Amino acid sequence: MGSEGLPPLPKWASNPCIMGIDEAGRGPVLGPMVYGCLYCAHSYQKTLSTLKFADSKTLKEEKREELFENLKADESIGWAVDVIDPRELSAKMLKKNKINLNEISHESAIGLINKTLSMGVLLTEVYLDTVGDTEKYRIKLSERFPNIKFVVAKKADSLYPVVSGASIVAKVTRDRALREWTLDETVEELHRSFGSGYPGDPQTKAWLKDHKHSVFGFPSLVRFSWGTCTSYYKDFVEVLWECDAADEDDNGKTNKRQMKLTSAGFTSSKKRKSEEIESSSKGRCKFFQARKLELLSDF
Amino acid sequence: MDGGDEGSSVTASHKTVELIRDSAAVVDLTGKVHQLPCCIKYDGPTSVSDYFKPKSTDMEVDGLKVEEAHFRGRKLHGTTIALPEGYSGFILGKKSPEEKNPDCWETRATSRNVTVWNHDDVPSKDDAFVRAFHWFAVSKTLHQTVTAEDLESTCID
Repeated sequence: MGSEGLPPLPKWASNPCIMGIDEAGRGPVLGPMVYGCLYCAHSYQKTLSTLKFADSKTLKEEKREELFENLKADESIGWAVDVIDPRELSAKMLKKNKINLNEISHESAIGLINKTLSMGVLLTEVYLDTVGDTEKYRIKLSERFPNIKFVVAKKADSLYPVVSGASIVAKVTRDRALREWTLDETVEELHRSFGSGYPGDPQTKAWLKDHKHSVFGFPSLVRFSWGTCTSYYKDFVEVLWECDAADEDDNGKTNKRQMKLTSAGFTSSKKRKSEEIESSSKGRCKFFQARKLELLSDF
Repeated sequence: MDGGDEGSSVTASHKTVELIRDSAAVVDLTGKVHQLPCCIKYDGPTSVSDYFKPKSTDMEVDGLKVEEAHFRGRKLHGTTIALPEGYSGFILGKKSPEEKNPDCWETRATSRNVTVWNHDDVPSKDDAFVRAFHWFAVSKTLHQTVTAEDLESTCID
């Protein structure tokens, strides 16, 4: 979990506080997803609504940057961010036991609340935009934090100034993170005209097209788990994973992928069929079966 | 893998495999041989080192140092296993097609270790690949010459 700009606990934090939580970069096919929160004393709420925070999407970039600098300088406001790496998003969504984006989002928000509480901030009310079913989300949060009142609402970022503030924290952090992103890959032809990262953005589309690789797919900035990526898969070399093969079996679909990939890694001969791979160690000593060792006379 | 001496060759049903090691003629790929937990339907060169970036972690499981990497969006956990003394890893390739015998394999590179990767799961001593290394000890014992003393000591009176 990334965080910055957390000053030592101010006096107001031991009075009842409200918090807003919002996200930026949920939809884009590349770059991190950022969860941001903003909190202040209950009594500061009125002043907060005069600070002209609005849903970050309705503001221009310069205005957002300016508001972010203002709120950072405001000693009556606390904030924190959780920057979720695209590699982490892809990895979780493509795990053997897949974690969906809503769960990742919930955990991030819960993480921000936990972090703020552990600093000693007396949180009594938390406002946030809904992710998935509104009521289910509210119950989930209330069960985790019984002493906090949760307000989960659609468009919370335009309804509650404290959430609007959080959306600015999140959006500015996401934009900066993408702008300053260090690409892991060391290919010379990489360029940084990512665009917004949204799948419909022509610049993003062009970037994806320029950076696809037949074996590796894309640089790790890209969220491989996004539907947008699947349209490029026809240009990629096919890669089979054992857990995906199992998925197909569950759904009762074709069995053509059903094979022991652990064996397939060693033997790529086209002559060999899955049945042979499976049966090859049959009748052999358990010692070899358990270690997936087989006698290879045809290669 | 084989414990063969330099320049030895293995012949099986009209196939020959030439094993060469410790020679300037073959590339040493130690640290660059990876066993991935998937089947990549491609056979040929690709820019592995530019895209595949294993990183070491602080984790250690069963005495195995855990590394992490990503491939096609999946998180991989791996460990580098050194080949035991007296053994060498060989990367083989088919000899040029002009060769009379088409089933003739030659050594392209060698390696003194191999990095084994799991999807999600951290490596453990129970992984089949790690356990495959037990064969070396078993094989050695099986092929050891039995001395008169050995026989005597196992004799049941």
